Amino acid sequence: MQDHLSKIWKGPIGLIASIAVLILLFSVLNPRFASVENLQNVLFQVSVPLIILVGTSMVILMGSIDLSAQGVMGAAGMTWILLSPNTRLEIDLGIWAWVAALGLGLLLGLATGVIYAKLRVPSFVVTLGTWYVGLGIGIILYGNGMLPSLTDEALARWPTRLTLGLPNSFWLAAFVAVAGALVMQFTHLGRGILAIGNNELIARSSGLPVSLMKVSVFGLAGLLSALAGILATMQLGSGSPDIGNGQLFTVIPAAVIGGTALSGGEGGMMRSTLGVFLLIILNNGLVLAGINPDYQSGVFGAILIVAIVAVAWPERSRLKVAK
Amino acid sequence: MRIFDRLLPEHNKRLKMLLASALTGGLAYIAAIAPATAATVDKKDMVMVVSVINTTNPYMISNIEGAKALSEKLEIPLEVVNSNNSSQTEISSILSILASGKKVIMFVNTVASSDAPTIVDAVKQAGGYVTIWWNKPTDYKPQSVGDNFVAFQKIPGVESGRCGAKAIGDALGGKGSVVMFPGVQDSTTSKTRVAGFKTEMKEKYPNIKILDERPSNWDPQLAARNAKDLIVKYGSQINGVWSADDGMQIGAMQSFENAGLLDKVKFASDGLYPKTLEDIKSGRGGNAIVGETFHRGYMASAVGLYTAYLAATGEVVPSTLPPEKRESLFKLSCVTPSNYQQYLQYDEPDAPKQFVERLVKNGPWNTEPMPLVGGGSNEQGEF
Repeated sequence: MQDHLSKIWKGPIGLIASIAVLILLFSVLNPRFASVENLQNVLFQVSVPLIILVGTSMVILMGSIDLSAQGVMGAAGMTWILLSPNTRLEIDLGIWAWVAALGLGLLLGLATGVIYAKLRVPSFVVTLGTWYVGLGIGIILYGNGMLPSLTDEALARWPTRLTLGLPNSFWLAAFVAVAGALVMQFTHLGRGILAIGNNELIARSSGLPVSLMKVSVFGLAGLLSALAGILATMQLGSGSPDIGNGQLFTVIPAAVIGGTALSGGEGGMMRSTLGVFLLIILNNGLVLAGINPDYQSGVFGAILIVAIVAVAWPERSRLKVAK
Repeated sequence: MRIFDRLLPEHNKRLKMLLASALTGGLAYIAAIAPATAATVDKKDMVMVVSVINTTNPYMISNIEGAKALSEKLEIPLEVVNSNNSSQTEISSILSILASGKKVIMFVNTVASSDAPTIVDAVKQAGGYVTIWWNKPTDYKPQSVGDNFVAFQKIPGVESGRCGAKAIGDALGGKGSVVMFPGVQDSTTSKTRVAGFKTEMKEKYPNIKILDERPSNWDPQLAARNAKDLIVKYGSQINGVWSADDGMQIGAMQSFENAGLLDKVKFASDGLYPKTLEDIKSGRGGNAIVGETFHRGYMASAVGLYTAYLAATGEVVPSTLPPEKRESLFKLSCVTPSNYQQYLQYDEPDAPKQFVERLVKNGPWNTEPMPLVGGGSNEQGEF
């Protein structure tokens, strides 16, 4: 077990150091940064991208890419809110709203996987298509009516409510992330994903059910994007096809910053998780430090480059060999 | 002309060359006399086009509703262009429609200001009529292009910002601290609203301090995240929140509600979305929303298209109109919890149809509640 744990955390020294430096720096600039309230705030903000990241990381580790998250989020979020107590429709399917929304995400993911694995269309193209199909479903559900808002107070407050001092939305994301890490470390599927990412031909010739694994991973990614869509909708209290806006630009860089190679086969769930933390903390810290909005994008980019250099420094020799 | 139909959509670069050479030949004559002969064009040879930035924003959906209502009233078929937030998609879709050879009556909510000249040139060369809405380069004027660029119309931004500042300023009794959520920082719409807010605050409420401003890209989620960060940073110091549109305000309000601060803070924004109207009606957060502005996307698109239609049919000759009717601002109404009732009627299901009826009767410059009220010369930086 200890060996496995050390494997999970192997490598991200630079990443942890970068995050520590940022935390220190921002705490000096504004003592409120280090407050419990801000910790809860950061964990709340991390939760949605973290859930998406678990699925996306698996896809990337397999040597593919998944661009569909934002669209699937829109479709699932709209499905969920329209079947939960809301201002537009007098309907409340309770648990079935979750089943329908998650089922839709799973279906979209499985369809993507089948097209990718069986018809051999590049994942970049298929998932781009799935993004727009999902967005299209979201738009149709949104229609021309008024913005659907949650009317159930308990549901709308659930993500921010604290359990053991931390927001529920983070507990949900943490559960997904830990489950994802365990799948990667201890299951046949996890090892298969890395094998496919390393060399698909060898994986196939050694008898791995490659196509089945590919379809399963995309199905899982769709399911998790749908869960993220539901959580984001709950957090906002209102439904929108655009609920996933901008998430892709957090999730994919986070995975790469965490050391997950876009070519597949290399990296890990916990490292990607640290990548999300780095990006969210950076953004949160800049706001708390009072950086002028005119300079925020530039400062964000500059610090990010420094952080990535620090992350990659311990691994520079290996990276060099890999070009 | 059939060769244009085949070539235009795929070979945009060749468009100008082809049309330019055509203009130097016999077709130049036809294009030149197009405005004069416009009145004789049969309705079945016309097509109405509404071009919107995307179809996920409620405001853009409303734009389409207005165009549909006018299209039904005038019995002219409608084409909807969804630019999908891309100037390229917008321009190529519009060129494809122009290639159909019909006389176009067009309303374009340009994705970027710089799209306007390209679109207007293409429409002009095809003998169509276009009203550009909201974004165009400042020095690119309908008067200098000709009758085919019928008008430029927009919702005033400075006035919107002033409405919000006044509402918050009065609600706080002229004293306190506020935070701001602009939209996409470098968009004219956001810039003018922010300028209006700051100017009004400076002039009328000098004891109100602007603590911070965080551009939130018109994105409710981003506004919610930024609001959470600012709540951590300033806590109960925040007395007022201004957002450049209601979408962002919905996100910001959710964060303040989650932090248990909703009833201690006053909010003002722009757009009076149905959700906002609901919150004003229900008095959410101890009447947290104190100010809004009223305008509707369906009204803007119907007015823009109708102005272009009048030019296409020759009922109005744009070059004879005064400059303030070529570059115009819509009247903006400041809405407060005490006068919101009068705006409820404009969200009834048949409201676009009713508005179009009045529009056709009264003309684009005189249809309440959103008549065009002239140019922006009094509003510095508005165009």
